[in-house]
Amino acid sequence: MNVMVCLDDRCGMAFHHRRQSRDRFVVNDLISQCGERRLLIEPYSTPLFEGFDKETVADSDFLSNARLSDYCFVERQGIRPVLSKIKQIIVYRWNRVYPADLYFDIDLSKGWKRILVTDFAGYSHKKITKEIYIR
Amino acid sequence: MKAEQSKLVLIWPILLLLCVLTAGCDVMKGSEATEPNQLSLSDVPAFQDSPYVELNGNEPLFTDEQKTTKAFEQYSELDRLGRCGSAYACIGRELMPTEERGSIGQIKPTGWHTVKYDFVDGKYLYNRCHLIGFQLTAENANEKNLITGTRYMNVEGMLPFENMVADYVKETDHHVLYRVTPIYEGENLVASGVEMEALSVEDNGEGVCFHVYVYNNQPGVTIDYKTGESRLSTQSSPDSEDTLEEYVLNTSSRKFHLPTCTSVNSIKEENKEIYQGSRDKLMAEGYEPCKNCNP
Repeated sequence: MNVMVCLDDRCGMAFHHRRQSRDRFVVNDLISQCGERRLLIEPYSTPLFEGFDKETVADSDFLSNARLSDYCFVERQGIRPVLSKIKQIIVYRWNRVYPADLYFDIDLSKGWKRILVTDFAGYSHKKITKEIYIR
Repeated sequence: MKAEQSKLVLIWPILLLLCVLTAGCDVMKGSEATEPNQLSLSDVPAFQDSPYVELNGNEPLFTDEQKTTKAFEQYSELDRLGRCGSAYACIGRELMPTEERGSIGQIKPTGWHTVKYDFVDGKYLYNRCHLIGFQLTAENANEKNLITGTRYMNVEGMLPFENMVADYVKETDHHVLYRVTPIYEGENLVASGVEMEALSVEDNGEGVCFHVYVYNNQPGVTIDYKTGESRLSTQSSPDSEDTLEEYVLNTSSRKFHLPTCTSVNSIKEENKEIYQGSRDKLMAEGYEPCKNCNP
């Protein structure tokens, strides 16, 4: 499966059970990245996709239930338990530091190859960096 | 005093409403911030290695009556010692800066000293630290909004929270109740830390919700909060003695070890150095403790 995450400069993901930040241009990009394939999210993420032309599958156990071709947008949990299922990780970096108490639990410098890095302007963030990693 | 404060808290929403109705203004600026319940420093754990700690389960103490989508900002009058009090705002797009920040060097908050340490980011120990960050309300050289704060508190402690609020507001056009309260011990001129609270209004905290205490500390520096004077944590104060410890340094990896650490045997002789002194001084010089022996 394919995993998509948003990270701050310290690989933080969330603070006090809430996402660190959001940006509609990031949502737009990850929907494009997903294409026609299924986009799985946790129920918490549902409001983020309201108003976008993409059907999402909200499931509290979405990582366990994802198929190999699915895209999973992960905001508030580690992905290490399903590491063996992951073939691609797409990272959106905020290029900011936010408070964090949940951090990304994969070291992308070990066993992962970055095949794309590109910057684009967000709606509320000056610069978003998108990176794609494969094994 | 407490009763008077309670009354003020109760009548504040009414005053707020009257101001809106009579002045017809979209943005309000006030000079008297509602004081939250005073945080006791005895409720805050001693500073260790995190720039902040959560308070009250990270839930802010705003009341339902305080939840408004009308932007405003209020700053407490300076007290008799010239110290800032609570700064309180409902942050919205309408308050955010539209031009670059100007100079604030003319403001000298209580306890201010211009002092440099080589190991401090940017060298200067103290920053003129906005209680409510410029990026949130465009309030710049306001003496009621600037305290003497360490670089560490400003950048590592407060800035991430300001970033979170600013970016949320820009993205959603929502409002965030935001209160920053400097906490002083007795008549100290430098705050021990600041209490920060925030709650997004339109979604009732789903977007932004935090309540933290940020330490006004700087690793490697000992601060006299009464006056703002400071010294390297390793330098002895007039009434104390240095604690001397023995460590083995790896001058190449910049790690230090206990003499009994098994890693010591693998350090090349040319990189090995015996050190007698304090741990704080080593840390201030950029050495990190070995993760095996945890000296």
